[in-house]
Amino acid sequence: MIVVEGLRKDFRALTAVHDMSFTVGDGEIFGLLGPNGAGKTTTVRMLAGLISPTAGTATVNGHSLGEGSQRIRAITGILTESPGLHEKLTARQNLAFYGRLYGLRGMRLKDAVDRYLAVVEMTEHADQRVVTFSKGMRQKVAVARALLHDPEVIYLDEPTSGLDPSAAKTIRDFIATLRSLGRSIVVCTHNLDEAERLCDRIGIMRGTLLRVDTPAGLRRHGRSATVRVELNGARGPESFIGRMADLPFVTGVQATESTLVVELADPRHETPDLVAALVAAGARITSVAEEAQTLEEAYLSLVGEHGERDVDR
Amino acid sequence: MRLGYVLAVFGKEWRDLVSNRLLLGAVAFPALIFAAIPTGVVAFIQLNDLDPSQLGQIKQYIANFPDLAPKLAAQGFIITNFMAYFLLIPAMVPMAIATQSVIGEKLARSLEPQLATPLEVGELLAGKTLAAALPAVAATWGVFALYGWVNGAIADPILTRLIFSNVWLVAMATLVPLICLFSVLLGIVVSSRVNDPRTAQQIGGFVVIPIIAVAVAQFVGGKATFSMEQVLIGDLLVAGLIGVTLLIGSWAFDRESILTRLA
Repeated sequence: MIVVEGLRKDFRALTAVHDMSFTVGDGEIFGLLGPNGAGKTTTVRMLAGLISPTAGTATVNGHSLGEGSQRIRAITGILTESPGLHEKLTARQNLAFYGRLYGLRGMRLKDAVDRYLAVVEMTEHADQRVVTFSKGMRQKVAVARALLHDPEVIYLDEPTSGLDPSAAKTIRDFIATLRSLGRSIVVCTHNLDEAERLCDRIGIMRGTLLRVDTPAGLRRHGRSATVRVELNGARGPESFIGRMADLPFVTGVQATESTLVVELADPRHETPDLVAALVAAGARITSVAEEAQTLEEAYLSLVGEHGERDVDR
Repeated sequence: MRLGYVLAVFGKEWRDLVSNRLLLGAVAFPALIFAAIPTGVVAFIQLNDLDPSQLGQIKQYIANFPDLAPKLAAQGFIITNFMAYFLLIPAMVPMAIATQSVIGEKLARSLEPQLATPLEVGELLAGKTLAAALPAVAATWGVFALYGWVNGAIADPILTRLIFSNVWLVAMATLVPLICLFSVLLGIVVSSRVNDPRTAQQIGGFVVIPIIAVAVAQFVGGKATFSMEQVLIGDLLVAGLIGVTLLIGSWAFDRESILTRLA
């Protein structure tokens, strides 16, 4: 479990990150979304024990940043923004080197290397030098490197960057498997579709966390959602407009040929009441669908509200 | 410091070095050149008689070896005087390896994944230092042995004994590894501040200037080679420089500054 309280990082006059507070539970995938320069990498570097915070505290599975940083690094797997592999070494030699740095030796090391080469579907290229690899192949090896020592906490920066759809799905499925094994996982990404599919909660940040919520919660952010009610019957949708407008939770209503378009502030709680009111008024309903904004719209709306800030370090 | 981690870094660096033919050439070539030049002169003298009219000009030099015939004394002066340049090998070669290693990794962004492991910065540097210094020490010792044997074979076994003198055996055993270590540490410190290997090598290259100055001063002063006292003073001087560089290095090469200085 990761617990972050008031984390701040200054680089001389530049404040990269401030007032960061959030938790990531065991078996949770937490997404960090934000524009370039938002401080995602700085946040992950602090939590991975690579750089020290200027202020604030954080514990990673009970180990505090600072005195526990070496222990934190031992239980953490990190996929960095750039694969950063050793080009002259083979994929197997790269993984074996990092395995040793994580304290694996002998058969444990060999088994881990073989296992994760298989997980990322790189077994047949295991003995080729990295310099000959495509971007996607490098990314696969880097993912394997991050997971090699079965870390308890995992930070993944753009985990499926450069991967073809099939390989990306393999990696996503494996990340989901890690969640089921109780790992705490933080994913930094610009891929909103991936964040939505993968993450239990998402933090949108720009120097600090602007909002943390589930993907569905974020989609509802900042504006009322629209519920489309398809009707089938002798009475047209326009005949229900007056009744709907009288409901206290309805913020707007329109009718099209066979559809009522109703705006609600909180559709999760208000849609059942809306349906009940329509049925009581004699409507014959064939379908009800919520039309929330996309995550991209929610993201752009949140990030746009908070203006420009300095460049990431 | 944990040996297993140091050896892991050393092993990786060694593999990198062996697969880099250009860098391997940079290790072997200077060493061979420094040995080949005086050996060529010794062979030339061996094949040609000294011009009696020139004996006066080299009188000062051959006086270093009063027990030897003028021709052999001239050869003796050449081979021992050039030996100061052997100290350039441990000054230049590990600098090239170390700067390439650190800056190469900075540019490839492969330092961050290593620093994200439980590896301590000191262990990382120790592994890199060993991997840069050992080939240079081995190259210097190898060429030194070859130099002694070949010159003895070309001219006279006395030359082998002059080369394998106590002074030079001590210099090889102490001064060469110390200069290597200093050169590597300086290379690492400079590399932590710049992102271009050539710039790092140019800045670090100043380390060769005192060695060349000593060699030239020896020649101008008509001295064949170092005394034991000079070697021991050199040891102390370089050890002091290593201490200063270590202090600067521990400040310059910390985990955070490496990561945040990546261009």
